[in-house]
Amino acid sequence: MQTKRPPFWQREKYTPYLLLLPAILTILFVVLLPLIFSFYTSFTGYRLIRPESLWQWVGLRNYERIFGDDDFWAAFVRTIVFLTIALNLEFLLGLGIALLINKITWGQRTLRTIMMFPMMFSPILVGYQFKFVFNDNIGILNNALESLGLSDGAIPWLVDTYLANFAIIFAEVWMSTSVFAILLLAGLFAMPRDPIEAAKVDGCNAWQVFRHITLPFLMPFVFIAMTIRSLDVARAYDIVDVMTGGGPAGRTELLWTLIARTGYDNARMGQANAMGYISIILSIAFTYYFFTKLIASRRYMGGAD
Amino acid sequence: MTTRTLKTLLAATALTGIAAGAVSAEDVDYGNFDGYTLRVKLIGGAQYEPLYARISEWEEMTGATVDVLSRKNHFELDREIKQDIAAGTLDWCVGSNHTSFAPQYGTIYTDLNGLIGEATLAEFQELALQNSTVDGRLVQLPRHSDISNLFYKKSLYADEDNKAAFKAEYGYDLAPPETFDQFKDQAIFFADAPSFYGTQYVGKDEAITGRFYEMLVANGGQLFDENWEPTFNSEAGVEAVQWFKDLYDAQAVPAGVLNYLWDDTGLGFASGTVAMNLDWAGWASFFNDPANSKVAGDIGLVRAPKGSGGLRSGWSGSHSFSITEGCDNKDAAASFVTFLTNHDSQMIEATAGLLPTRAKVWDDAKAKFAADGNDFLVEVFDTYAQSMAEDAFTPPLIAPWIEVSNEIWPRLQSAILGEMTAQEALDEAADAARIVMEDAGYL
Amino acid sequence: MRTPFRKTAGKVALWILTFVLMVIMCVPGLWVVLTAFRPNAEVLAKPPVWIPEDPGLTNFAKIFGFAADQVAIPVPSYFANSLIIALTSTAIALLIGMSGGYAFARYRFRFKNGIFLGLMLSRTVPGIALSLPVFIIWSKLGLIDTKPGLIIVYVALNVPFTIWLIDGFFRQIPKEMSEAAQVDGCTRWQAFWKIEFPLAKSGIASAGIFAFLTSWNEYALASNLTRSTDSKTLPVGLMDFTAQFTIDWAGMSAMAVIIIIPALILTFLVQKHLIAGLTFGGVKG
Repeated sequence: MQTKRPPFWQREKYTPYLLLLPAILTILFVVLLPLIFSFYTSFTGYRLIRPESLWQWVGLRNYERIFGDDDFWAAFVRTIVFLTIALNLEFLLGLGIALLINKITWGQRTLRTIMMFPMMFSPILVGYQFKFVFNDNIGILNNALESLGLSDGAIPWLVDTYLANFAIIFAEVWMSTSVFAILLLAGLFAMPRDPIEAAKVDGCNAWQVFRHITLPFLMPFVFIAMTIRSLDVARAYDIVDVMTGGGPAGRTELLWTLIARTGYDNARMGQANAMGYISIILSIAFTYYFFTKLIASRRYMGGAD
Repeated sequence: MTTRTLKTLLAATALTGIAAGAVSAEDVDYGNFDGYTLRVKLIGGAQYEPLYARISEWEEMTGATVDVLSRKNHFELDREIKQDIAAGTLDWCVGSNHTSFAPQYGTIYTDLNGLIGEATLAEFQELALQNSTVDGRLVQLPRHSDISNLFYKKSLYADEDNKAAFKAEYGYDLAPPETFDQFKDQAIFFADAPSFYGTQYVGKDEAITGRFYEMLVANGGQLFDENWEPTFNSEAGVEAVQWFKDLYDAQAVPAGVLNYLWDDTGLGFASGTVAMNLDWAGWASFFNDPANSKVAGDIGLVRAPKGSGGLRSGWSGSHSFSITEGCDNKDAAASFVTFLTNHDSQMIEATAGLLPTRAKVWDDAKAKFAADGNDFLVEVFDTYAQSMAEDAFTPPLIAPWIEVSNEIWPRLQSAILGEMTAQEALDEAADAARIVMEDAGYL
Repeated sequence: MRTPFRKTAGKVALWILTFVLMVIMCVPGLWVVLTAFRPNAEVLAKPPVWIPEDPGLTNFAKIFGFAADQVAIPVPSYFANSLIIALTSTAIALLIGMSGGYAFARYRFRFKNGIFLGLMLSRTVPGIALSLPVFIIWSKLGLIDTKPGLIIVYVALNVPFTIWLIDGFFRQIPKEMSEAAQVDGCTRWQAFWKIEFPLAKSGIASAGIFAFLTSWNEYALASNLTRSTDSKTLPVGLMDFTAQFTIDWAGMSAMAVIIIIPALILTFLVQKHLIAGLTFGGVKG
């Protein structure tokens, strides 16, 4: 007797799709659908306060304006520089912290919790916190420098071009270094002891061990951390918006602050969404770059599919 | 945890004693709206909330319930209202508004002429109502007004050494400034960075655009000509920008001033490290409260200085309430906003130093201050009454004002920081403003 | 005797060194905590007051409405909203993530890599670019100012990373174990819950803590999609301390402490799983 063919949802072939269905539906609904809508508006003269302008087709005008706008490109380049510096600093500091904590055998759990302390801070809070730290008049930093006699004037941390950019990068690095540290620490934990012991027997010094054994092993973790971070770097918007709002004179303007001002304050949503698309392409590029690196280093580790 | 709790919380903080001491409630019938729920969006913040304690009184009187949908600061509220317009979710009745913001919202708010009794409107100041009118429609009922005057640290001006040194250096007697040039001289004279500053100004957003705009007018300039062509890149404009830049270069203002907003300037003056502060009336009682302020008891006040055009700077605006066009019970909404701006309500706000929009409240509030022996607030009200009557003007009441402002202020910052000259900065801003005005259909 | 002593001394020194470094790293955050217990006047004082002269719970009393001069901030409802939204969205994200992660780990199917990359890249869309279109669609569906409205968004935010971690974790568990259980008469479903799920617990826990922290701290989207005490979360509540003219920094710090403490406790509790979870989940994709 031939068994009846099971309905399609019970067939092995469709199982993975069924399992993935909730995930795909959620993303379609929350991310893709809104994106299609905003993609459409980027070709219109849509202004928030005039709903009927949603149907005002302007073709590529928003994109043309953006491409011809020096302020936009300045923000674009600044965003890339910001990301590059911040991600690399976070990586180096996170690696240092992870190596240090890895050496600790007693009381490590406490130290790990302290290490993750900045992760508990909401980006908006980090913004206010550093706005007050770097305030030139009543800020804790200037007060400390003056009390210690290291400076005799109020340093305009949030005004000077270099200092203001330093300040926002500092805040971003402070918030996110922990993510790197925790992921790299996980990597160190997973590391087999044998190759290190063997290398030591062979007379390698600490640096050589680190350079030729520890670091290559850690690389997949580094790229995982980089990928994760480049996925949600736009969180930095909250920080920068509170600390400087992109100012003064556009000195700390990043794509995200520019988008928010164009879209909400100036109510030019069409143009803001056009900028949004360019910023999405930028994050995709960063993520894709780290992702391919990740795949490559996994292959090197022999751990891939 | 919605309306009821909020109500109780608000009621708990009611400023007792004020309502009782004031003149008895006016002869206005606030109606009966039994069972109706009025949905409102109000501006939040310490200065604005004492008034909301009265909401429960109105509820008792009319039988209606008030559902406060949001309480946010004005910039957040502005964003929210714009989103509501975009999404078509204007399903509420009363919203807080401001004369500078109102023109952006087009026709979402209803004309209050006819909705609110003529007798009631007649009790408001003529100018306040005029400024609340956009395209001939009274889109908002003014709640309190704002204008800036110059607070200064009195003891500095009484000091004999200061007097002598100032006279020797500048050739005229040291007295609170009458013109912006004197203002600048004295700010530079008193400054001793980084421990003490001559003055400070707000350095970003609409705040600095507003300050620039009022100096432009005081210098005899205008933002636009009669055809809405930007004209602020005039000599008067350059002079105004130069004033900001000179103070910045001389370190007479804190180095971080370009990131300052109203809280920074207010707190700065209260910290006692600033000689002069051009600021809003709402700060007066804060400055004179020893718990918050180190300059309490040492504050002088003069009207805002004159520019080279002989006018005083008088950038002004009013906080207000508006009623949506789609409101399902406009009478209830009108009753509500009338109640929140009636004599007793304005007395509550006036006690905090906010400037009333009803003529009679000015006198009654002053009488009350005098009776309480609060001479400082009497002086504050005298000075501000004069400037409201003689100096006040609003920014152009046009929809693209905020957008124009966003083109102006980053360039002002560039000029102050010396990245371009004042003329270059204003020329560039005027070009950008022209595009905004073209897009908005004015040119 | 000397050597063990030296070793111990070295360890102690290293511990102290690390501890000091960690504390220095935390200073900007600790300063917020300190501010929470000081009056605003002292915080803004110049010259600065380094050691609190008048520490106390005034700021907290104000927040909860025990002080006469300020309207209470509705912290209890913000707190409840945050907790409900963060926990529910984390739980749903984990379920969806387990289901998706299992599919990636155990099956071969068409478009596998494409779907994986697509899910990951969905996370690159900045909140600020998403906020308005989501707002408009949500308002048509009546999801504005509701907890489910925010929960759905946070699920979508957390699903990609959750799938990634859990996928890596399931791969670590030999297929044979589940197959053996099926031979013994379990269904695949039973085998999953009895064999694979317990082994993957740490991975799920670490994905959970990341998801929870993201939802708990998110501001950009929440500030647009919430309106009232029906759905406002704690980070959005922070803005209650900013008015037109003033920022009540001391009050905001007190609120910050209220936000941080639950997150810190939770993190401490799942510490052990956290590291283990990341370890296995990450290495091999």
